[in-house]
Amino acid sequence: MAQQERNTSKRSVLAQGLGFGGLIIAALVFLFLLYDSHLSFAYDDSMKRRQQGILTGMPFMSNIAPRTFVDNHGRKLYLATPPKRIVSLAPSVTELLFALGLDDEIVGVTEFCNFPPQAKTKPKVGYSSPNLESIVRLEPDLVLAPRAFLRADLLSKFEELKIPTFILEAKLIEDIYSQILTLGRMLGKTPEAITLSTAMRKRVGTLTALVENLPRRSVLYILNTEPLITVGPGSYVHHLIELAGGRNIAEKAAMPYPRLDMEEVLRQNPDVLIFSGGKFGGIPDVEHTKWARWKSITAVQQGALFEIESDLINRPGPRVVEGVEALIRIIHPNVFPNSSPSR
Amino acid sequence: MAQTQNESDQSLRTTLTFRRWVTWVGIFSLLAFLTFLICVGFGTEFIPPATLLGILSEGFMSQFGDNQTMGTTSVIVWQIRVPRVFLAFLVGGTLAAVGAALQALLRNPLADPYILGISSGAALGVALAILLGVGTTVMVAPILPACAFLGALISLLIVYRVAVAYGRFNTHTLLLAGVILNAIFGALIMFLTTITEPTRAFSMMSWLMGTLMAPEPTTLLYLVVYVGVGLLLLGWQAHSLNILTLGEEVARSLGVEVERVKRMVFGASALLTGAVVAFSGLIGFVGMIVPHAVRMLLGADHRLLLPASGFVGGIFLMVADTVARTVFSPAEIPVGVVTALAGGPIFLYVLIAQQRKGV
Repeated sequence: MAQQERNTSKRSVLAQGLGFGGLIIAALVFLFLLYDSHLSFAYDDSMKRRQQGILTGMPFMSNIAPRTFVDNHGRKLYLATPPKRIVSLAPSVTELLFALGLDDEIVGVTEFCNFPPQAKTKPKVGYSSPNLESIVRLEPDLVLAPRAFLRADLLSKFEELKIPTFILEAKLIEDIYSQILTLGRMLGKTPEAITLSTAMRKRVGTLTALVENLPRRSVLYILNTEPLITVGPGSYVHHLIELAGGRNIAEKAAMPYPRLDMEEVLRQNPDVLIFSGGKFGGIPDVEHTKWARWKSITAVQQGALFEIESDLINRPGPRVVEGVEALIRIIHPNVFPNSSPSR
Repeated sequence: MAQTQNESDQSLRTTLTFRRWVTWVGIFSLLAFLTFLICVGFGTEFIPPATLLGILSEGFMSQFGDNQTMGTTSVIVWQIRVPRVFLAFLVGGTLAAVGAALQALLRNPLADPYILGISSGAALGVALAILLGVGTTVMVAPILPACAFLGALISLLIVYRVAVAYGRFNTHTLLLAGVILNAIFGALIMFLTTITEPTRAFSMMSWLMGTLMAPEPTTLLYLVVYVGVGLLLLGWQAHSLNILTLGEEVARSLGVEVERVKRMVFGASALLTGAVVAFSGLIGFVGMIVPHAVRMLLGADHRLLLPASGFVGGIFLMVADTVARTVFSPAEIPVGVVTALAGGPIFLYVLIAQQRKGV
């Protein structure tokens, strides 16, 4: 009994201490907000909510501060200053960081980060199962991780090691723009981020306007021929195909990367076959032979077999603009005067 | 084991008449043909029997050539469904016949090319061949079945060595040997997939899950040749297998050249498993449950058991593949998943039932 009492009293003292400390922190944050809101108010869309917090005098609202960021996993991350040692766990994120001019801040990338060329010189930390040790050794003050492939145990390990981790996920092209803005704000590159996202939005808008009113052409995107694996609704490539004025013939599939029944391909009769490929590798002859068998498909009859550099459309990063353009050149070749997609 | 022996004793006593053989084989082939027609009717879109029969009767050879002028439905029937369902029949039948022969040879009702690690040996052979660039694709090169044959033969010999080392064949030892082989070969295959380029590894992994695709007529022809030779070799040994189930000493005293029979059956099993794995990846449990069911129905005379298992296995895989094609249509699931989900629980049941009998 006595011990319990002692415990309780200890706890209440602790609670008081916490409450007091909390008040001080809240007051500090409050002052900080007042100070910071003047600086960033031009760019900050969370300003409205923050001011409300100030006006109603509720300190707990202060957690929506300009230096607090909410990632695509719903986790909040508070960063007092822009991080200086960043590890990127996705090629798309690496491209974004370089596009924002953060060449020196990037200290670690994945083994698939091949663009821009200087990304290849950065230390590698693995990809689908990143090497925790090599990440820790780099002493990052921020890890940017894609939601896909990120294992829960790795995330909790990062939390345990107090390595700030921010999870990114882009399902639509719009998500990329907002990601750029968030990263810009987080990393002290707001003007660059605004310039980049505005330019991208404008270019993509111009491109999609070209094909908006054209009849949609049916497209089969081929990840693998035997068995036939393609992209379905919910995948990023599917979204880009639709943006580029195409109709994905696997649109009825229930999963993002379905094995598609060959029957469905014959029934839907695609106008264009697009092979996911490397840079200027060309479609292997084997693929041509395999598809030549299905002569009833319009794309096969007309020889409309094209290859696209998969990095452009698989990575939700700054080069998505090139990806959309490449897709339009394949799907609607006539909208550009001098188009020559690689066959 | 005792059960198998009892059954075989019994069935040897009730001598297999030619009439009984013809009746049962007739019934099963008819059933297989009907199943074939029904399975061809199902797909992304159901084709009503009347339309289907119309398309099928329009002529066989004329449909195989130029498909530019054909209607989509007939292209789908003749170039996708018919070859694929036929492939399912061949693969299922082969696996079941191999399972029946191995069960007799190892005197163990749980023997199956998949469970004993023979299929994964074959898969390793194919994976190595693909990695070394022997075949640019899984399906076309006729050399791949040969590599698979070698892999299957090696793992079969290892399993046999383990079984022999323990003297009399012991169920659990044999299963354990299979588990370990599966683990080793699985690890090697995983190693190979990690060192290959991602796109190839991807293609390899999806093939390993057990896949039936619409093969080209020439590909199908290769498979028919491989399977035909293997099945003839197996069928030739059917009578010797009957006697072998009584035990090697008994068989030897009855004038069976045990070693020669063993070599022949092992060789044929490896050839068949290799061919099937090279064309369709890893499809499990067909070789275990089908012979078991057929033995319960017809007794253990291998002259009847082998062909009957073949037909029933074919029927089973045709149905399983139709399920794999249609449940998530237009997407597919690997047929190996369907057979494992259907066969796994039955396997467990057999294992428990066997234990209860105190075998």
